[in-house]
Amino acid sequence: MSSTVASPMSTLASSSSGRKSTSFTPELQSMMFSLGDARRPLHETAVLVEDIVHTQLINLQAAEVSQLRGARVISAEDLLFLMRKDKKKLRRLLKYMFFRDYKSKIVKGIEEDDLLEDKFNSSNTNKRQKLAQDFLNSIDQTGELLAMFEDDEIDDVKQERMERAERQTRMMDSVQYAEFCESRQLSFSKKASKFRDWLDCSSMEIKPNAVAMEILAYLAYETVAQLVDLALLVKQDMAPKAGDPFSHAISATFIQYHNSAESTAACGIEAQSDAIQPSHIREAIRRYGHKIGPLSPFTSAYRRNGMTFLAC
Amino acid sequence: MDGVSPLERYLERCEGQFKDDLSASPQLFTPMSPYDVDLPIQTTEDVWGSQLNQPKDLSTDFSVDLSFLPDITQDDKEQNLSEDGYEKQKELDGSISRNEDSGIIVDESSLSYSGATQSSPEASGTCPPLIPMTPMTPVTPASESSGIVPQLQNIVSTVNLACKLDLKNIALHARNAEYNPKRFAAVIMRIREPRTTALIFSSGKMVCTGAKSEEQSRLAARKYARVVQKLGFPAKFLDFKIQNMVGSCDVRFPIRLEGLVLTHQQFSSYEPELFPGLIYRMVKPRIVLLIFVSGKVVLTGAKERSEIYEAFENIYPILKGFKKPS
Repeated sequence: MSSTVASPMSTLASSSSGRKSTSFTPELQSMMFSLGDARRPLHETAVLVEDIVHTQLINLQAAEVSQLRGARVISAEDLLFLMRKDKKKLRRLLKYMFFRDYKSKIVKGIEEDDLLEDKFNSSNTNKRQKLAQDFLNSIDQTGELLAMFEDDEIDDVKQERMERAERQTRMMDSVQYAEFCESRQLSFSKKASKFRDWLDCSSMEIKPNAVAMEILAYLAYETVAQLVDLALLVKQDMAPKAGDPFSHAISATFIQYHNSAESTAACGIEAQSDAIQPSHIREAIRRYGHKIGPLSPFTSAYRRNGMTFLAC
Repeated sequence: MDGVSPLERYLERCEGQFKDDLSASPQLFTPMSPYDVDLPIQTTEDVWGSQLNQPKDLSTDFSVDLSFLPDITQDDKEQNLSEDGYEKQKELDGSISRNEDSGIIVDESSLSYSGATQSSPEASGTCPPLIPMTPMTPVTPASESSGIVPQLQNIVSTVNLACKLDLKNIALHARNAEYNPKRFAAVIMRIREPRTTALIFSSGKMVCTGAKSEEQSRLAARKYARVVQKLGFPAKFLDFKIQNMVGSCDVRFPIRLEGLVLTHQQFSSYEPELFPGLIYRMVKPRIVLLIFVSGKVVLTGAKERSEIYEAFENIYPILKGFKKPS
């Protein structure tokens, strides 16, 4: 237990001194707000989250996978390969890629100026989808991965996030809602060059290509989202509740709703420091990395160097 | 009429010049009368007829054969001829008096023409009235129509000119044409009136975009076809089809997209990191709507104008339900 806990913490301490030039802290604060945190997330929390995301992305070691393949660039296939173990997360990634294709197709049809680009790139519609399908075809041995394309199950995590967002926005007025929408639109893919510097791509031998960069930006965002989800769970667990022995077993969304509706007076202290604290985040990571059960070494999280990856 | 004979002389004069200039002079069409609505001008036929009887005789002398446009009516032909007259006077540095004379004709014709255009929107059955105060489909008494009409922003249409084209030739001789074979295998041509862009392929197929109404799209396509025809290719005008129509409007209240995506999950996708609008795929009619927080709605994917109106009437009550109170 100590080894798995120590490694993220120690790497956090050592790597935080490395990158002073580019920092995503303010963007992260907005992102966390849009994902369910309080109106002004704490700066320390954002710094911690940034560290975690950075470390996790660097340690994905996608470069090694592409070296195995003998390729010169990190491409989308390498990242898909790394994620093959966790079906749900892989499906979410695939849906994201398809949505990107679909959106560019629609927007092309509307923007007249892009008409020419449209004709030039007509071969590129659904390119991400084809890419993913071909690759999964080649590595799929049990037919599970391909079944994901037809699968239309509801993504629970996504559903929960949507519900949380809906509840958050119900109470807002237009000004707050406008701010909320703006922060929701923030993503790592919008600031691609800053993202590249942040990841220190120039010093890598094998660089990721364009689609791979999109996926990395998506993974970074997913990591932040996961962290916020888990931290909110932890926060809710830590909240003092009146003698209910099974309160920790009720789902996070349910409790949060009731808490905010009923016990705002009782949790006065909590309402003030509503933001996620760094301690919540650390506890969340600890719990996530904790191996539970006999088969846990073989379950979803992709493990290397004792580090559990949140995004895949 | 005084105006006719100078025009006639003028046309005779430039007919010779025109033949020489055929290769060097691309035709830009900026007629002085508005061509927003469908062209038949039955009411003004007699006004036109007297003016243009003489020039019509000259039509056989022109190297341009306008009979390639099979669905063109008598009125269209006259109107096309008058357009040719206008262009020529533009090209040549003719004397001011001649321009003025022709200007007189134009004024008269535009006066009578605009009279026709004002009456035709109501009279014409081809395009639906632009202000539907009642919805086109039966609706329950509880709901009411929105009173907002989506405006068409862009129409994409295709037409088959039915002959092989030499793109280099066209690009060299036509004004406002781009051709970069390494980048894209078609000529990109633009005209100012109606403001549109066309992609002309060597197979003879053509795509026309940028028009704001069906009639404008058809008119623009005909103009491009005539340009190609004048450059010496036996162009025809087959299978004109509108492929896509884009409309937009504003409901004038902010919309809570998170609520909409939750309740209409099967139809909507909303990824604010990727695109600030919610993409709503309506099944009947098959239209894609982009709904934004500000209340602006863009509708696309329609083949008919009525589909856009219908889709908007369908979505309006839903959007009202997610109005963001301020």
